[in-house]
Amino acid sequence: MKTKLLALLMTLSLVGYGQSLLKGRVTDENDQALPGVNVLIKGTSQGTVTDANGEYSLNSVTPDAIVVLSFIGYTPQEVAVGGRTTVDIKLVPDTKTLEEVVVIGYGTTTVKELTGSVSVVNGEQLTALNPVRIDQALQGQAAGVQISSASGSPGGALNIRIRGLSTNGDNNPLILVDGVPYSSDGLNALNPSDVESINVLKDASAGIYGVRAANGVIIVTTKQGRKNTKPSLEFSGYYGVQQTTKKLNLLTAREFAILKNEAFAAGGQAPPFLNANVGNGTDWQDEVFQNAPIQNYNLNLNGGSEKSTYSIGGSFLNQEGIVGGTKAGYRRYNARLNFTTELAPKVTLQSVMLYTNERRKTLAENGISSVLFNTINASPVATPYTSSGDYAFLEDVAEVINPLAQISNTFNESNVNKIVGKEELTYKINNNFELSGRAGYNYAIVDDKTFSPLVYYGSGKAQNTALNAALDPRTTEIATGVSIPIYNNVTETRTSYFNYNLEAFLNYNRTFQEFHKVKATLGASVFADVNKSLTGTGYNVPYNSNDFADISATDGTNLLNSTSSWQNESRLQSYFARAEYGYGSKYLLSALIRRDGSSNFGKNNRFGYFPAVSAAWVVSEESFFNTGLIEFMKVRASYGVSGNDKIGLFRYRALLGGEGVYPFNNQLVNGVAIGTLGNQDLKWETTKQTNFGIDLNLLNGKVEITTDYYIKKTNDLLFQPDISAISGAYGAGSSPPWVNGGDVQNSGFEFLINYNDVIGDDFRFNIGYNLTTIRNKVTALPAGVDFYEFGAFGVGGGTATRMQVGYPMGYFFGYKTDGVYQSAQEVTERGITQAGAQAGDLRFVDNDNSGTINFSNDSDKTIIGSPIPDVIMGINVGMSFKGIDFSATLYASIGNDILRNYERQQPLANLLSYKMERWTGPGSTNENPRLTTAANNNGVISDYFVEDGSFARIKNIQLGYTLPGTLTDKIGARKLRVYVAVNNLATFTKYRGYDPDFSTSSPVVSGIDYGFYPQAKTFMAGLNLNF
Amino acid sequence: MKNFFKTSILIAAITSMSLSCDNYVDIDPEYSIDADNFFKSASDYERALTGAYDLMQTSYLDIWIGEIASDNSIAGGESVTDSEGLHQIDAMTHGGVSNELRSIFRWMYTGITRVNYIYENKDKLEFEGKERILAEAAFLRAYYYFELVKFFGDVPLIIDKRLSSSEIASQQRTPAAEVYAQIEKDLTAAAETLAWTTTVKGRITKGAALALLGKVYLYQNKFTESAEVLDRVINEGPYELFSDFSTLFRVVNEGNSETVFDIEYVGIEGGGYGCFVCLEGFAAVGFHGIRGYEGPIYRDGNSYNLPTQDLVNEFETGDPRLAASILDIEAFKNSQEDPASVKYVIGGGGHTGFYNNKYIKRADELGAGDDDLTSPVNHKVIRYADVLLMAAEAHNRKASPNDALARQYLNEVRDRVDMDPVNLSGAALTQAIYHERRVEFAGEGLHFFDLVRTGRAATEIQGFQTGKNELFPLPQDEIDLAGAGWIQNDGY
Repeated sequence: MKTKLLALLMTLSLVGYGQSLLKGRVTDENDQALPGVNVLIKGTSQGTVTDANGEYSLNSVTPDAIVVLSFIGYTPQEVAVGGRTTVDIKLVPDTKTLEEVVVIGYGTTTVKELTGSVSVVNGEQLTALNPVRIDQALQGQAAGVQISSASGSPGGALNIRIRGLSTNGDNNPLILVDGVPYSSDGLNALNPSDVESINVLKDASAGIYGVRAANGVIIVTTKQGRKNTKPSLEFSGYYGVQQTTKKLNLLTAREFAILKNEAFAAGGQAPPFLNANVGNGTDWQDEVFQNAPIQNYNLNLNGGSEKSTYSIGGSFLNQEGIVGGTKAGYRRYNARLNFTTELAPKVTLQSVMLYTNERRKTLAENGISSVLFNTINASPVATPYTSSGDYAFLEDVAEVINPLAQISNTFNESNVNKIVGKEELTYKINNNFELSGRAGYNYAIVDDKTFSPLVYYGSGKAQNTALNAALDPRTTEIATGVSIPIYNNVTETRTSYFNYNLEAFLNYNRTFQEFHKVKATLGASVFADVNKSLTGTGYNVPYNSNDFADISATDGTNLLNSTSSWQNESRLQSYFARAEYGYGSKYLLSALIRRDGSSNFGKNNRFGYFPAVSAAWVVSEESFFNTGLIEFMKVRASYGVSGNDKIGLFRYRALLGGEGVYPFNNQLVNGVAIGTLGNQDLKWETTKQTNFGIDLNLLNGKVEITTDYYIKKTNDLLFQPDISAISGAYGAGSSPPWVNGGDVQNSGFEFLINYNDVIGDDFRFNIGYNLTTIRNKVTALPAGVDFYEFGAFGVGGGTATRMQVGYPMGYFFGYKTDGVYQSAQEVTERGITQAGAQAGDLRFVDNDNSGTINFSNDSDKTIIGSPIPDVIMGINVGMSFKGIDFSATLYASIGNDILRNYERQQPLANLLSYKMERWTGPGSTNENPRLTTAANNNGVISDYFVEDGSFARIKNIQLGYTLPGTLTDKIGARKLRVYVAVNNLATFTKYRGYDPDFSTSSPVVSGIDYGFYPQAKTFMAGLNLNF
Repeated sequence: MKNFFKTSILIAAITSMSLSCDNYVDIDPEYSIDADNFFKSASDYERALTGAYDLMQTSYLDIWIGEIASDNSIAGGESVTDSEGLHQIDAMTHGGVSNELRSIFRWMYTGITRVNYIYENKDKLEFEGKERILAEAAFLRAYYYFELVKFFGDVPLIIDKRLSSSEIASQQRTPAAEVYAQIEKDLTAAAETLAWTTTVKGRITKGAALALLGKVYLYQNKFTESAEVLDRVINEGPYELFSDFSTLFRVVNEGNSETVFDIEYVGIEGGGYGCFVCLEGFAAVGFHGIRGYEGPIYRDGNSYNLPTQDLVNEFETGDPRLAASILDIEAFKNSQEDPASVKYVIGGGGHTGFYNNKYIKRADELGAGDDDLTSPVNHKVIRYADVLLMAAEAHNRKASPNDALARQYLNEVRDRVDMDPVNLSGAALTQAIYHERRVEFAGEGLHFFDLVRTGRAATEIQGFQTGKNELFPLPQDEIDLAGAGWIQNDGY
């Protein structure tokens, strides 16, 4: 009633003044029309929005009125009309304002009033980098977020680590796309140019997501239209050429022959090359690496009417591999609809639908049988092709096959059809209460097909599936005296992944007496994940050809044909409450609690409570705060608990998965037995995180600084340690129960600074720098366990990494070296017995001071490196002058070690060229040991194989030009920008391997390089066109 | 006011929805059976019993250690680090760190746990034939505990239930006498229910239960009880000695009249080195095979568990059991038409020139896949000859000896292989029975335990320390993991 009266009074008061029509055009910093800008006469409710040409008109405007313009992403402006009838206004972009909206889970707040530690990354900033996956672009953009590639091959995944490694298991954060949970593996399906913004919840404020939030939460919001805007069409596209970021320095044939002759002679064997003048030989890397195209096109249509908004998108991406070309290709189609409408007064519906069709082809990578492993180790003296043009057999290095033949014989294809969607109803009950209900779903069908032809790579190769070069099949005995041939086969797997998420929550927002701001959220959520898979293998594909590789074409009666299936379901049921209080914008307090139930745990521990509190003090709001330099200063603190339930399903239960087989009447009879023992007390890992932060804005908002210090302690890590035999856990198919035991701690410092300024009218620039330090330490293991061992070094070698109290997770465990024995005399006079040592061998350190280097147990092994970086940092630079823009992104990781594990210890395997600097006699070198084929201990795991994996990489460098508005107007476009860019232009590192920017999904073996598929260097040209 | 009302209803609705459906997360895994909702049909009990039988197939270690620890054989193999634990046992230098001993400890307890799982649920369902299942299960538990008590002495006695993790952590070792009492109780119960014969080859019979009970009494020097039980087997049971000793151990003669208790194996499944507990074939046989062998009859193997000259010397002249039990490879080679066609190599783990000819890989008895691991040959745990010789010993050594009956039993065994009868009594008869046991059961894994229980180990086995080596050490890892502060066996 009050408001109506007020409006009436205002209307009345306007009558009688000299009023006239006011119109004008609103443009951006490049003089491009800005549609959808809110234009309001100050102090009134009279307003409009600009049209597609950026034009507006308002009736009955008094000459002394003030026009207020606001538009997301731009600084609000007030302009006095001053009697004019036409007022054109140029808006200034606002890269980050205190009023920017931050999604904090089931609600929003502003940067100014945020109490937790949240990184906000603008979608445009990410899309500009032209990533295939959104997380590629996120690397180096947000403090506290470490991202590394799990594979450089097209469609390869990345590993996201927020604030270190908080568990021995799955470290991936919870990813939500418009509120719908998204697995990090499935992130491929998301088109980066559909992303509006990304918020990363790093501290305890993530606790609103409870039992899944311990690894942090990434909230992705997709693009939406705006009300009252005409359709705007955006097209963007690029075409690029990729090449490898690096080739290894391998020996040429001549160098190879010399070194091998030397090694054989030292081993007392006949030198293999009578004449070492064999030229340069084959450069296998030149044969395998190729230039590969990449192209991507996006089309977006956005707009809105008075009651509805829409954003529709479509895109196409096609990428070939720098190894294998189309055999390692990735192709993706995306379609997207984001639609909101007012169904009834106060009731809004938001409907989001993201559809993806992906096809990915893969080669063997990152392991002993991978294409690159074979490439590195193939003899340079061998030729790739025979004189008749067939692939040559690589006979001289056992277990290494011709990588070109391998590529040609590999047929792995995966097709994904995925639909992710959400229907959300919001009922604005009144000015204070808003009720939301939403249903989210994620349904993916993944069809995998692998064709295994009959192949022959030469005698004795483990990868042979045929008996001989004529491709005769091998045979197998299926019953006494009954043998059948093993033909080629095709395996098809269909897996469906379905999850749904039903949520309802009520938000309350009210300000009492002007400065007591109260917000509250109360809600409930259920989530279920249902996955099913069916696999079939058919033998005898006609003509041994991929063209016929389908089960339908195989011999349906072949006795080796097989099928299998699996299915699983897990559920989560939660409710949550959050209360926020602000005394003005000065003292801010937030408290939340979530109760989660997870079907991964037994009745005793199914439900847990995850509380968090956070508080902030905006010091700059205080009257005593009076410094012209700093206009905004906020001090934050938070503490809270979150969980991790990411283990296998039903681990708490004793399922009858054991094997119990015994012959009765000479026939095997299948019995049952308990498999993995149950543990009703099993529960989630708990992460307690403390965070302190300061936010500063200086120099009229030109400089923004955010720093955080965090301590993150994870307790009750989930393990399956050995237990007492009296548990009965050691039968066939049986294993000990999963238990909670072990703690790990991460702590670190985050720092972010952004500086943006305008020099003159036209030269704008911004520079951003962020830094993260990580200190990771295992602080406890289950009772009775001294360490866990993981990974493998060499072929058939021992373990490479350990998890042990007092050390970083997955540290490298091996011998320290102390140079090279220069003489036999040195060996005998050293006073420490090293069995078998000769001049030229590595001098190992007697770590336990026993007087003997012990190779039969671990007593002389110690920490020789850690894959966890000390510091990661990102630098982002952007500048524009008139229509020209330039940007660059750098990323650096410092202090991480890598274990070199792609060199085969075969007598005739190729070597890296650093072996040219091997020990050849007293005084020759103290770095690299002698070469010999005789037995020696130089190949045991030692710091000789550990390299500094620190690197800095220019991730993206880009130069663009936006055509003047006068020109683009002629073609009816609002904006046309063309650009050239290079991704991964240069990498600065001492690491000898392909790419120091890699990791594995398992945190305990993450720094072992098995011949990693390097990321590509991409040269691209593209354009952005807006209508 | 109206809004407040609406809001309240909504809040109430949300809250009640979430509170009322806590069972939303109470779901069961699909298509897989849970340990706690099993035993719903008679066949469930039958299948759980089969699971409990399975662990008997790990008995290859019993044969190896029973021979290698004694003066009967050496460890052999590729090198002195090939199954290092066996070489340490051979040299009597073994300690608590031994894969082989730990495997026995683990596997026997797994067998016991599988039996206890049946007993824990024995009252869930009544059906015809349940007594038989429970009786066979009781036998299996007795067998597993007997193995444990024989190797390790005092071991934790757990019956009729699975342990929680806190119970595991507080479990103490039980005195061997109490473990023996449980074994006797289980075997007595099993013998009462089971029949002398079964139509299903491989199932436990009354004879097996009574024979094992007699053996268990003998190991405790309870000779009177032992004699009584074994007499029942001899008088009431359907057993007689198999006439041809030389083919007694062959697959074709499995289940013959002398079979009292066999552990069954078949070679049809294959298997790998990664999981010995998964094997359905008898691993001892292939491992006993002649290393690098080429030639007739046999197939190449891993030259484990090689008989000694000392054992060969034990045989009386003309005893046909020598050739049947021990293969003299050079003699065999030279007996061939073309001796050069027989080839073999000597392993770095030792060589005696002799191989175990009872359990050895033969060309006509190969398993599938890696046939070192999957022999179809059965492990003859208790033969009727053993019943006779155990009975003879019990009658000879009991408080009021019956040497006439003892001699009768002994001579029955000797008569089968045409050896002259003995006509001794008292201590001389005892020695004759000991001698007979060594030659009759050469290579069958009994000798070390025979030496220990009769107090002869120290004089017969080089390096054997009285008061220590009668028992094997508890696996050190198991002491560490037990949590209840077990004390290692004396001397280790």
